[in-house]
Amino acid sequence: MDALYGYMLYGISLATMGGIYAVLTLGLNVQWGFAGLFNAGIAGFFGIGAYTTAILTTSATHRHIGGFEMPYIVGFLAAMLICGVIAYLVGKVCLRLRSDYLAIATIGIAEIFRLILKNETWATNGPRGVSEIPKPFEHWPEPWNQFGFLLLVLVVVAIVYVLVEVARKSPWGRVMTAIRENEPSAKAAGKNVENFRMEGFVIGCMIMALAGALMAHYLKFVDPNATDPLLATFLVWVMLIVGGSANNKGAILGAFLMWVVWSATEIVTSRLPDELAIRAAYIRIFLIGLMLQIFLQKFPQGILPEKRPDVAKSNGNAETKMAD
Amino acid sequence: MNFLKKMAITASAIAMLSVGAQAGEIKVGSAGGVTGPIAELVAAIVKGRQIATEHVNSNGGLLKGDTMKLVIADSACDPKAAVDAGNKLVNVEQVVGIIGPSCSGATNGMVSSVTIPAGVTVLSDSATAPSISELKDKDTVFRASASDAYQGKAIADMVWKAGKKKVAVTYSNDDYNAGIANVFVKEFKALGGEVTGNQAHEPNKASYRSELSTLAQGGPEALALFAYYGSSGITIVKNSLENGLFGKFYAADGMFDKSVIGQIGADNLKDNIWITQAASDTEDASYKNFAEAFKAAGGDPEAPYAAHGYDVAFLMALAIEKAGAADRTKISAALREVAGPEGEVVRPGEWAKAKKLIADGKKVNYQGAAGVNDFDANGDVTGLFSVNVVGDDGNWSRSMLK
Repeated sequence: MDALYGYMLYGISLATMGGIYAVLTLGLNVQWGFAGLFNAGIAGFFGIGAYTTAILTTSATHRHIGGFEMPYIVGFLAAMLICGVIAYLVGKVCLRLRSDYLAIATIGIAEIFRLILKNETWATNGPRGVSEIPKPFEHWPEPWNQFGFLLLVLVVVAIVYVLVEVARKSPWGRVMTAIRENEPSAKAAGKNVENFRMEGFVIGCMIMALAGALMAHYLKFVDPNATDPLLATFLVWVMLIVGGSANNKGAILGAFLMWVVWSATEIVTSRLPDELAIRAAYIRIFLIGLMLQIFLQKFPQGILPEKRPDVAKSNGNAETKMAD
Repeated sequence: MNFLKKMAITASAIAMLSVGAQAGEIKVGSAGGVTGPIAELVAAIVKGRQIATEHVNSNGGLLKGDTMKLVIADSACDPKAAVDAGNKLVNVEQVVGIIGPSCSGATNGMVSSVTIPAGVTVLSDSATAPSISELKDKDTVFRASASDAYQGKAIADMVWKAGKKKVAVTYSNDDYNAGIANVFVKEFKALGGEVTGNQAHEPNKASYRSELSTLAQGGPEALALFAYYGSSGITIVKNSLENGLFGKFYAADGMFDKSVIGQIGADNLKDNIWITQAASDTEDASYKNFAEAFKAAGGDPEAPYAAHGYDVAFLMALAIEKAGAADRTKISAALREVAGPEGEVVRPGEWAKAKKLIADGKKVNYQGAAGVNDFDANGDVTGLFSVNVVGDDGNWSRSMLK
């Protein structure tokens, strides 16, 4: 019961959850930060990723389809692949909508996914959820298993960050920015706007599914409540806005920062008298909304504002290879 | 980066606030879906836990006069939030044990990811999913509410006692009803009964005549029906009565609703249908003790799982007292010793008596407001069930199933 050891373990759990949220936020950054797509259905794509890997990696049970006992890597890849296909189909229907209408449509789509997960009991065990999901390194002794999982999450964050950063600086990323800033002029420059938006949407959703898969293994359990929009959609938006949209470092910073704020505030509120502690639980939700307001009004660019890639360094060859 | 600086100050302030427990204070985690889909229910459950804690603290407290302190953590009925809440309770608050969380999903996530690896005992008051029984939990997960599967056994006993030897079984093809039906069939056969037919059905069909005529073969005396009233139950009862296939029905709480009487008619159902339901025995002395205290505190004692909330807090206090120290590794074994079935009976509110018994080295058997808490090998309780029949006034009439 060493207090310091306890704080260290809590620190690991904070960093693990923060890391998973960083992946989610990077996914949203591809959609909103790069392409200007307002996806308000993050929870849905997150849920698809979580359930896919959950069903593929668990051992046989009478509660839901499965018993495949696939390795983790298959679970992760399948989560991304299946989510990518679904995102493509959703994109076909929704992406022509203008930004605010796209937001409404994606909220609806996330809700549809949640209801499917809740009602297709034969496949997902309905509201009872999928339990006993294996967790990488769980057979290692404490605290090394937790360190191991944290390391896995941080490695995933690093890989996704590098890939997304390369994409941002590439010609592809600059076309994205052009579309976001001025769609008619991008079109006039001969870019196939619809294709680019679709690519941004699908890639973003696949990254979200990867975060969902990590979360499923971390929690060892998923149920439809895990796709509740408060913690899986709105919190992610706040993270991106606070951190700085269109800046990948900002997305990661925002994710860790907001998760620490969200989680650690309860340590303070749980010290209040019981009646107040229960009410304070709602104040935490209010606090998240308040931070969003403050940042939107006072620091709309977030803590780390967008930095455009240096044009002088990357002109010439890259321009001519640019896809259209 | 003014903002970052402020954040750093806030973070260090949080760290300073949370250093160590005060002397003479024993912390127990109280996880619950304070926010989220069942927030209204949780308010009453948390109140139940608080009243039990007050009873403990105003009657001598724990061990050598230490106070029991419940640390509230919001599990939001969401496994993500529950894992985070569990991590804080176990690592930051260094609680001795955890009561709650409320929802089965939140409980599943929290125990699998946090408390089982950490070896912290969890005692839930309202998680009922059968999957929790099967977790490899090193005997650290308990619950004071019956697993849904127990209702299957309760119904089997009831049918057997009613003198029915041959029954047919049909269940709606979902986890809940299939789970109860499987247990029912196993238990009914164990009693010596014969199951003439056992068939799953898909909900929301317009008619179940063909399934029912198959099931009616072999001379069953009654139909054991595990379904939700809205999606298939009412249709099955109607089809059976219209075609004279079955006249007597035994069902679980998925069938309990006013609309069953409304749509089929009280005359058709009187003396023909028995529906079980998880319940507290309002005539029991333990329940009366609890209800009095709960009413005095301005609550409604019949609120769902409020009595269970009281029981888990009281049981956790007994376990700490029995363990003789605020040592999380000893709680699981101590919990089994104070819950019965052997020993002198202790009821809600009787903390001073319990404390003395434990001090004298006598065995204690806590009989809770929500039922006897004799844990089985999985840390589950059998719970109490009531049976509903159609009364003389044409409404459901409830009595306890003994």
